[in-house]
Amino acid sequence: MHPINLILMGFFFLGFTCSLHAEEAYLNYKTYCMQCHGMHGKGDGVNVPAMNVLPRDHSDNKYMMTRTNTEIYKAIKFGGPAVNKSVKMPAWEDTFTEEEIQQLVGHIRTLCCEQELVRGVNFR
Amino acid sequence: MVIEAICEVEMRYSFLVLILALFAAPVFAGAAEGGEQFLRTHCASCHDLNGPAPQTIRQLWKRDAPDLFYAGNKYRREWLVEWLQKPVRIRPAGVNYLRHINSTPPKDQKKKAGRQYDVLWGEVLKPLKHVRLDRKKAEMVADVLMSMVPNYALTANEKLDTSKKVTLDDGEVLIDKVHGCLSCHQIEPGYGGYTGAELYTAGKRLQPAYMLSYIRHPKQWDPKIWMPGYPKMPEEDLQKIVNYLILLAKEDFNASN
Ligand code: HEC
Ligand code: HEC
Ligand code: HEC
Repeated sequence: MHPINLILMGFFFLGFTCSLHAEEAYLNYKTYCMQCHGMHGKGDGVNVPAMNVLPRDHSDNKYMMTRTNTEIYKAIKFGGPAVNKSVKMPAWEDTFTEEEIQQLVGHIRTLCCEQELVRGVNFR
Repeated sequence: MVIEAICEVEMRYSFLVLILALFAAPVFAGAAEGGEQFLRTHCASCHDLNGPAPQTIRQLWKRDAPDLFYAGNKYRREWLVEWLQKPVRIRPAGVNYLRHINSTPPKDQKKKAGRQYDVLWGEVLKPLKHVRLDRKKAEMVADVLMSMVPNYALTANEKLDTSKKVTLDDGEVLIDKVHGCLSCHQIEPGYGGYTGAELYTAGKRLQPAYMLSYIRHPKQWDPKIWMPGYPKMPEEDLQKIVNYLILLAKEDFNASN
């Protein structure tokens, strides 16, 4: 096989795994988070009328920029209380693998901080 | 495009599994032949009678009705017999909430703290349409369902401690403020969230051992369900919650509404 074919194939698989990850994170967000955080992640899910603490608006750029990736990770894995927030944000450690949680953090960043991501901001 | 191709393959594959599932002999532990046959012809088109529960999100989204293959580990027989004669909705947002939410609400949509939120729409707003059985058929079907117990290992070590008594008020505090179940579950018709099953009937619908096991590890029953697990909940709270649900189910909600 010509080396260029190998390189092309490499790119193909790289792109493939990337889009597959983004796809997986989106499926997870849709299935587990939308019920409270809403179809567009604006904290306006169908369960909101029953809640006395409003789910976080993940597209609120100003607020989300104050949170580090580590804090978002902890909130998802161990629930609201792990980052001094409400128990109304459940803990999902029983639901996801490490990798899936990391991917969800990445997905949330695309909901709030697209411009910063393009500029290459380090969220820690 | 690649993903579409994969999905197509997967869809074809799951169709195969479906065919297999339809023809594979189910494990009914010595129930009446007539009842089995009845279930297979009248119920299998919507309900999974063979298992396993959906293993991926895509499979989960294709599910049209609750899995019944572990019915004998889950339901109380008396409730089954009653409900099959008078079926009513149990999940306010349907079996799959994603099919029944809409983000473009009508003009008269209420707001909360300045936000418009997603609303339910479609068939879940109408009364449930479901096969209705007469008492004799309901008894027969209940017998077969109660004999389907493949998840026995999950409930075998669960035991309700009835000494962990609670009042309705304390129970509500546990469900709402302490553990936040109320976001997804109703503890009174119209009071609570939509994406989980109603809990005000759970006590008479479900076996205590099932509730204890399910609340801690819902994923053991239904690997992709959108209820979080509570592996770290203190045993004391778990016992109290289940005792509360049993107490709650004795309330007469028709009288108060
Ligand atoms: C039962 C409803 C509910 C579900 C389901 C839910 N959340 Fe939340 N979430 C909340 C609430 C309520 C808050 C706000 C807590 C507060 O401000 O005290 C929140 C806050 C958050 C925050 C912000 C924490 C912070 O630092 O302010 C993140 C990140 C988050 N949720 C991610 C997720 C992800 C990812 C999922 C899906 C796996 C999810 N949530 C599912 C209710 C929910
Ligand atoms: C057209 C599809 C369809 C058929 C056919 C059907 N069901 Fe159902 N069944 C449903 C749906 C949908 C629900 C969920 C109702 C809800 O949660 O509100 C349901 C709920 C149930 C429940 C309650 C389960 C639970 O955990 O909430 C039982 C028991 C049940 N069906 C038994 C049967 C039996 C027995 C038959 C055959 C005689 C049957 N069903 C035929 C669609 C169907
Ligand atoms: C994020 C939403 C959510 C939260 C929070 C939640 N649940 Fe659930 N719960 C669900 C869903 C979804 C189901 C599955 C319904 C089905 O079978 O279709 C479920 C099922 C159940 C069942 C079994 C009901 C049945 O009919 O099979 C019980 C009992 C239960 N939950 C109790 C609890 C308790 C107690 C808590 C709090 C400690 C809780 N849930 C928190 C969503 C939630």
